[in-house]
Amino acid sequence: MSAPMPALPDAVLVCTLLAGALTSGLLDAQTAHWAYRAPVRPAEPEVARSDWPRNPIDSFVLARLEAEGRTPAPRAEPARLLRRLHLDLIGLPPTPEEVEAFVADPSPAAYARVVDRLLASPRFGEHHARQWLDLARYADSNGFQADQLRDSWAYRDWVIDALNDDMPFDRFTIGQLAGDLLPEATLEQRIATGFHRTVTCNVEAGVHPEANRVDQVVDRVNTTATVWLGTTMECAQCHDHKYDPFSQRDYYRLFAFFNNTPLEVVNPLGEQGVSFDFDGPWMELPLRAEQQAELDRLEAEREALQARRSLALADAAAVQEDWEGELRGMLDAAPGWRVLEVAEFTSTGDEDHELLPDGSVLLSGRVPDTTTYRVRVESELTDVTALRLEVLTHPSLPGTGPGRGDVERPNFILSEFVVEAEPLAAVGNGGEGPRRVALHGARADHEQDGWPVAAAIDGKQDKGWAIGGGFFADHAATFLTREPVGEPGGTAWTFTLDQNYGRGRTIGRFRISAFQGAPEALTTPEDIAAIVGSEARTDEEEARLREYYLAHRPEVVRLQQALAAIDEQIARLEPDRTLVMVEMDEPRSTCVMRRGDYLLPGERVEPGTPGALHPFDERWPRNRLGLACWLVSPDNPLVARVTVNRWWSQIFGAGLVATEEDFGLRCAPPSHPELLDWLAMEFVASGWSRKHLLRTIVTSATYQQSSRRGAAADDPHNRLLGRGPRFRLSAEMLRDQALAASGLLSLEQGGPPVFPPQPDGLWRQTGRNEPKYVVATDSDRFRRGIYVIWRRAAPYPSFVLFDGPDRATCHPKRSRTNTPMQALVLMNDPVYVEAALGLAARALREAGDDPARLVRMFQWVLARRPTPAEQAFLLQVVVDERQRLAAEPGAAHALVDAHPVLDLEPTLDRTELAAWFHTATMLLNLDEAVTKG
Amino acid sequence: MSVLPHRIDALSRRALLLHSGAGLGAAALSRLLGDPPRTDVTPRAQSVIYIHLVGAPSHLDLFDPKPELQRREGQKCPEAFIAGKQLAFIRNHPELLGTPNDPRFAFRHCGASGLQISNLLPHLQTCADEIALLRTVQTEEFNHAPAQMYLATGFGRFGRPSLGAWTSYGLGSPNRDLPAYVAMFSGQYPGAGNSIFGSGFLPSVHQGVEFRSKGDPVLFLSDPPGVDRAARRRIVDGVNHLNGLHLDDFADPETATRIEQYELAYRMQASVPELMDIASEPAEVHALYGTRPGKTSFANNCLLARRLVERGVRFVQLFEADWDHHSSVFDNLPRKCKGVDQPIAALLHDLKRRGLLDQTLVVWASEFGRTPMAQTDNGSGKRTKIGRDHHNEAFALWMAGGGVKGGIAHGATDELGYAAVEHPVHVHDFNATILHLLGLDHERLTYRFQGRDFRLTDIGGRVVHDVLV
Repeated sequence: MSAPMPALPDAVLVCTLLAGALTSGLLDAQTAHWAYRAPVRPAEPEVARSDWPRNPIDSFVLARLEAEGRTPAPRAEPARLLRRLHLDLIGLPPTPEEVEAFVADPSPAAYARVVDRLLASPRFGEHHARQWLDLARYADSNGFQADQLRDSWAYRDWVIDALNDDMPFDRFTIGQLAGDLLPEATLEQRIATGFHRTVTCNVEAGVHPEANRVDQVVDRVNTTATVWLGTTMECAQCHDHKYDPFSQRDYYRLFAFFNNTPLEVVNPLGEQGVSFDFDGPWMELPLRAEQQAELDRLEAEREALQARRSLALADAAAVQEDWEGELRGMLDAAPGWRVLEVAEFTSTGDEDHELLPDGSVLLSGRVPDTTTYRVRVESELTDVTALRLEVLTHPSLPGTGPGRGDVERPNFILSEFVVEAEPLAAVGNGGEGPRRVALHGARADHEQDGWPVAAAIDGKQDKGWAIGGGFFADHAATFLTREPVGEPGGTAWTFTLDQNYGRGRTIGRFRISAFQGAPEALTTPEDIAAIVGSEARTDEEEARLREYYLAHRPEVVRLQQALAAIDEQIARLEPDRTLVMVEMDEPRSTCVMRRGDYLLPGERVEPGTPGALHPFDERWPRNRLGLACWLVSPDNPLVARVTVNRWWSQIFGAGLVATEEDFGLRCAPPSHPELLDWLAMEFVASGWSRKHLLRTIVTSATYQQSSRRGAAADDPHNRLLGRGPRFRLSAEMLRDQALAASGLLSLEQGGPPVFPPQPDGLWRQTGRNEPKYVVATDSDRFRRGIYVIWRRAAPYPSFVLFDGPDRATCHPKRSRTNTPMQALVLMNDPVYVEAALGLAARALREAGDDPARLVRMFQWVLARRPTPAEQAFLLQVVVDERQRLAAEPGAAHALVDAHPVLDLEPTLDRTELAAWFHTATMLLNLDEAVTKG
Repeated sequence: MSVLPHRIDALSRRALLLHSGAGLGAAALSRLLGDPPRTDVTPRAQSVIYIHLVGAPSHLDLFDPKPELQRREGQKCPEAFIAGKQLAFIRNHPELLGTPNDPRFAFRHCGASGLQISNLLPHLQTCADEIALLRTVQTEEFNHAPAQMYLATGFGRFGRPSLGAWTSYGLGSPNRDLPAYVAMFSGQYPGAGNSIFGSGFLPSVHQGVEFRSKGDPVLFLSDPPGVDRAARRRIVDGVNHLNGLHLDDFADPETATRIEQYELAYRMQASVPELMDIASEPAEVHALYGTRPGKTSFANNCLLARRLVERGVRFVQLFEADWDHHSSVFDNLPRKCKGVDQPIAALLHDLKRRGLLDQTLVVWASEFGRTPMAQTDNGSGKRTKIGRDHHNEAFALWMAGGGVKGGIAHGATDELGYAAVEHPVHVHDFNATILHLLGLDHERLTYRFQGRDFRLTDIGGRVVHDVLV
């Protein structure tokens, strides 16, 4: 009945067709393709202009130039060179002071000192981590529909630290691929395995967990091959690779290395159901410094409180006996409850009533919807400290009551219970009239859920006391008076019982009593009263009494509460978490998946590496650790070449192999093959030191050339390296630079991601636990781009517009576009508007007159002084703007008032700020500012 | 006044080549050079308006009438429907579910062609003669996000360029003031997120630009407080003057391009708000679409789509959320249809009377269809009002205008609407056909990345010639 899926030109078929060609091709590839042959350290070529090279890089470059009949470009002007160097090594511009110093002494020795200083800067790792995190597809969310945030930033910080420490690249690799499998793995080594926990995870309802898991393993295989082998293994998932010597079997042998980690979704309902949550292994991190400081503070406070509590307890113990005597006295002296005799009863509901001999009032006759009873009492009692309202059953009431409205449910709702008192002598004498008796501490022997007796003295009519679930029985409520009530000459009492619920939920019979003496006699539990009254106490009784006593010592109670609050705060100081890899005890078996479909298992395979590459040393374990060892084995022809090529591209804008992501048979041929191999060998020989390699590159004469087109204009892509590098800054560098120039940049390092301003509504994606984007108003607003939250479904918009990836997959190379949207970002994104305003304010603060301000601004943004033409033009701009703004002061205020977050001091003239903001915006938008040249 | 130096035009076009990254095909290069698009086949459509009903509407109740399914309603479905199949939510042996026997849900033979369309889409029924229905579309994925990516990028995981990006890459933009590829959303974002209109490994200049109905229509379009249009003009002039000096010094064509982009940005600041302001449309147009200026709605997006293609935007994609009716399908479907029926029909009529329908391809798409079997619980055992699960073996999408033969239904499903029995159309075929209508050969529109020449249609795709004029 069901038709088969449409006949695709089947991948398997395609492979079969190609098989003949491929098999022979493979063999050729193995022997012929340069990238699969181990690099050998080439001899430095002879060059004619032997005074130009500063290191072997230059000999290779110059030899090629000379062979083409060209000459290298002159060295860049010192200021431009210093800016280039700063941007390349730390991703931030130099300060004017650094520029001035270098312009004064641009010698190679001074240059080398700058290089050393920058390589040692903690800013180095923050800058260089960005490229690695693109490869590692590091992000702060799961991706897909739910796209919840996840905690992985400790891994990001690990990368930054590793780069700052110049961790050798082989160790850097092993930690990330298999840190957990190292003997006695350290905390850092386990954090490093976050590299492969950055994969996306689909938790949409109806997803199949196994499909999800297979997709994640596929991503790990493909990413590993791209990062360390510069190879597209992806093609071999469904069929043998069409061009490169990798079979489908090779693919699943690599797959097997990664196939032993647990599922990363969990079904909260177990077997049932199709909803899933993100899961998978994580570990707790040590407390962050500020958390630790907070913990230390709390623990110190706790200790102090405990000491005070000990003192308070000792004080209390000293006077417990006195308290006992007092309490005993109060209990003994209490004369108990006295029923108040009703002098007059009135009601608003037109009921009949009868005073019974026991002092209660029995209602009969009409049952109104709502009613108010008013009871007047005249009494000699003094020192009344409590009142009691009993609601009583009676055979004449429906269902015996105590309510009147319903046989089945004889409930009542006492909306409000109001008591007033007046000296008897004053009644009718035109005195002050009855005074309201303040009540508190309401208690009842029974309360209906949601209808507590306290609601009868809350001053509000909406709720009240009811007794649902306690029908057909007597009940009593007691109320304490705030002050003793009762005049020596007798007191006139008025009790008002409002019952406003409706439907006849009114009281059928009730009685009011008064209590004299210490309220403790009422509030003291019976067992405590008994213990206090007894001479011979058991240990338990002593303990119970002491507990009760202490619970009524305000000082002790206060300290106890303070301690509980501290404990709660300590408990809330949870350690942060980070996602890590762990290996399952029982490895999964791995099969070739026919057509890449996990539901079509084929031949079973064991972990292993592609036969076309260097052999797997049998001493290595057949797990991720062994794989990592294999990848960074000196025999691996690819890893060093691929890695140095990537760094070269970071500096020069393109790799020596232009297809940085592919070193296979179809890759672009290297422009300088010997140079590539020399760099690769140098890298390994230096102990896989990134800093050594970068130092070698930036100290070369090749790097220090001017980036003017000059004579090399006919080499548009600068493949011959006859001029210095020149290309647009990355998204993160642009933002960092603007913040640095304006003086707003915060250099705080590490920790959870930050939330700088972005337009409202970008995080409106669907999904569970939708996080809110709360824009930082503190210094986090101005942190470096590497720390900005990376939500895959909605990455930070200015980064996206400047070619930042969504980091859903390994991203080997960012494109470098030049679009109108980028102009809009630099002119209008609040981040850049704030930077321009900050830059203007900085110029006003730090320089005295217009020319000085302009020079300073130039130095902050472009690291150089303006040319006379630029200076003349921009000074005129300032003059013109100042004039316009003076005529229209509203604009200046509108601009400054829109940025309270910058907290600009009132002493800064608003017109001046706006005029210089205009200039600052121009500078930050210059091609030269957004370009490393 | 702009201070564009004369040298820029020549320089900047070449500059575009430089910043577009490696791997740009020769054809694409010539397009970027400003030559008219050199298409592989005669283009029938200049623009595409691609409507994605996110979540997947029940095509069986809209476009593929199944009387036999109605007759057998309540019977257990054939074993073959579930044996060895992966379904997203249904776990037990489900029953068949027909379209309700209710005039509201009845199908009607419409127009001269007699194409059958449900009464749930009364306005669209009047457009039947424009529509080429594809009743047997098939996809490889059965969860939303992967299937959305499969439809949009020909691949079920992240990382590939979307159809709109491929179009922008292949044809460029005929409009100098607006992006080639615009995406608009009503309701929540699709699960695939930005990837669904992303550029994948293509240069990111080809990614869809979201036009928003709240806040700035294009991100960062508005000038900051205190900066009026005249001030912005002066800033752009100043920047470009200084960039001109720099260009003289360094002779980098990229600088020339940047000067041009600042001019374009300045123009967009005026052209985009003008474009997005539908209040200027006559009352008759608002009555036609059911639009209300200032509101966020699918209807407004349809009208905006027309305004965009009028101005030469190449690819407009409208995402309309909330069609995932696992439960209460017969309550939700009529409600949702009400929201899209009139505006889509209005769009087709409006394009036609303006003479634009011939050159504008309008597409109704979803990531998959829905099962002929009933879903009666939420997948976790809790009973829910009746719905339909995800179905990827055969579902109905349609195209209209832009070189498409109207009033036809291509392909047929079995009597219960489960599988294709005649002319199956794989997503790759569907995409190949759209590219073909735009004048692009899906096998030649390639991009070299990681050593491989990637295509939207991977290693598949056959143009469905039967639906072409």
